[in-house]
Amino acid sequence: MNISLKNVSFSYTDSLDDAVISDLNLEIYSGECVILAGESGCGKTTISKLINGLIPHYHSGTMGGDVLLGEKNTADMTLADISRYVGSVFQNPRSQFFNIDTDSELVFGCENLGKPREEILQRVDGVIREFRLEHLMGRNIFHMSGGEKQKIACASVAATGPEIFVLDEPSANLDLKSVADLTEIVARWKKAGKTVVVVEHRIHYLREIADRICYVKDGHIAHEWTPAELEAKGPEYAASLGLRCMNLKQLGENCHPGAEGDRVYGSNQDDIKFNNLHFAYNRKFPVLDIPVLSLHRNQITAVIGHNGAGKSTLAQVMCGLCGTWSQKRKARKYGAYLIMQDVNHQLFTESVLEEVLLGMRPQNEKAALEILAGLNLEQYAYEHPMALSGGQKQRVAIGSGVSSGRDIVVFDEPTSGLDYRQMLAVSATLQKLAASGKTLLVITHDPEFILNCCSNIIRMEHGKIAEQYPLQGNQGKLIETMLNA
Amino acid sequence: MKLDPRTKLFLAIVANSVILSAPVAYSALMFAVPAILLLFEKKWKFVLAFFSVYLAAAFGFEHLKTMDVGRIGTLVVSTMMIISHMMPITIVLYYVMMSTKVNEFLAAMARIHVPTKLTIPLTVMIRFFPTVFDEARAIGHAMRMRGIRLFSLRTLKNPFSILEYRLVPLLVSITKIGDELSIAAVTRGLSPETKRTCVATIGFHVQDAVVFVYCMAVVLICYVFPDLVGDLLSRLT
Repeated sequence: MNISLKNVSFSYTDSLDDAVISDLNLEIYSGECVILAGESGCGKTTISKLINGLIPHYHSGTMGGDVLLGEKNTADMTLADISRYVGSVFQNPRSQFFNIDTDSELVFGCENLGKPREEILQRVDGVIREFRLEHLMGRNIFHMSGGEKQKIACASVAATGPEIFVLDEPSANLDLKSVADLTEIVARWKKAGKTVVVVEHRIHYLREIADRICYVKDGHIAHEWTPAELEAKGPEYAASLGLRCMNLKQLGENCHPGAEGDRVYGSNQDDIKFNNLHFAYNRKFPVLDIPVLSLHRNQITAVIGHNGAGKSTLAQVMCGLCGTWSQKRKARKYGAYLIMQDVNHQLFTESVLEEVLLGMRPQNEKAALEILAGLNLEQYAYEHPMALSGGQKQRVAIGSGVSSGRDIVVFDEPTSGLDYRQMLAVSATLQKLAASGKTLLVITHDPEFILNCCSNIIRMEHGKIAEQYPLQGNQGKLIETMLNA
Repeated sequence: MKLDPRTKLFLAIVANSVILSAPVAYSALMFAVPAILLLFEKKWKFVLAFFSVYLAAAFGFEHLKTMDVGRIGTLVVSTMMIISHMMPITIVLYYVMMSTKVNEFLAAMARIHVPTKLTIPLTVMIRFFPTVFDEARAIGHAMRMRGIRLFSLRTLKNPFSILEYRLVPLLVSITKIGDELSIAAVTRGLSPETKRTCVATIGFHVQDAVVFVYCMAVVLICYVFPDLVGDLLSRLT
């Protein structure tokens, strides 16, 4: 089914003067796989919402022009009608499930279409076999990893058999292995003749499948390439447009600028040791089992490994958030400070300054302002933290960690869903933090980010440290293990 | 053991009215039902925690309510009263929320002709509560790391601050999640206009009959023959 956007403009306010999309023309042909790429805030997600009907039916605003699915104008259809033709997968695996268990989620879309019971069961059986979901059936979604959730999300959309799939940054929260599964899913859809539209700035996993990459800038299509054309222009060109690396294998071989050299951010060269990092929900199956963890002081260490390898548990135990009572008490005194993946959880107060003062003992406003200045936040000192952008919020959380006086800061996937420029900004902040005397541990699935600022790698497997090595000289090995993990 | 959503609704209504209007002894008759059902769902820890807190509060209240305990004591005793009266209701609601699947609920409500305009928002609530708890736990973690504890000098000086620290991030994240959940539902075709099928089989079984008869019996004892239990008790003692 063709998708055509004709002279489309859209603004989230009442006037088209501050339009996010202006006079956009885009034709996507039946059976094509098109990537809408671009930096955050360029309007690419808005385009995806125009296709799946959330605009104009869910988000209010002012719209001009027509969006046609085949011959039908989305403005004349209801969302329920559109959902017969368009299936949507979103970025956040946490909140795109309407049910709490996987079985109900798979049948949910079909039930809403009012299909007969036997047909639904048949379709769902087919989808379970096709996506190999047998081991995920009957599970509670709160106990599943991001990759597993995203797989269920794709499968439950596929179960209704739409002609068009719209995916909004589906890889943002996934490890590379789950991303490979996603590649396979998109390839299968394309082979079945479906039209697939993917909003992404990570293109590497679709470079062999996508027909076209449309680069969106300021609400219109600024460039259009085939993946091969873009790749031929070289990694620097893609990076200058804020796009992530096109070819991860190459990344390991000829390494991005900044990846060379032994990175030493501070003068201290000794190791920090953590003893007895153990945790188990159930005595037979330890989630975390590390007798000694040693970190190089004043350096940035990356923790890699599958979803479910115990990386987050490691972070939580180190920060005193789970574990036995004595582990927690010890961690409260000497432990690490965690910057969560969703930083909204850790911003409580009414101003950025107060946020930094809150954990400070004794409180000292001048010192707090200095911390903020170090993070380029001094002009926001009296703003409400929730009014800031995502990257700024993350820096406020880092500020609160610095003011707590803890020497070790742990980051849980600080670059998930970020475009190239934003990723560089986070990397610069972290390097500065390390240079100021902190020791950093970063849980991440982002190879580009690791090559950019980390100096040591810890790979975890089944709650244990599988290996620990310096980045220098091992770049190729790193990329290889991440891809094949 | 699975109950029909309609039975659960009936149980919730009867249990709430009995617990709120009748003496404590009767309410025990009522919240025993969800407690047993939760054991079937393997929620041992929850039931155990519930009974320890509940019994402590109820026992304390019964013994202290007639004594002169001073100003602070009154505060403690009234907290105990609130806990012993409200907790039975929470266990009933907890059982209903945790054991009901969205599609079963929608199908059951459609059978008794409750309009979808009413039931769809209710299903969002079923999905919403576990999410809120999940978020609240993450926020609790963040607070612990900042050294903000429920009982400390600082929070005693300014007790509302703790409420603010808890609620502000919670509200921000749940409004966002609520929005994303609605989007997930509408893009998957959930709409009051179309007729849904339900794959899950719902219907009444023996266990539904048992719960129903039991509830009716409690209602009779409570409202129709309120003296019956009193007589029995006095004859026994």
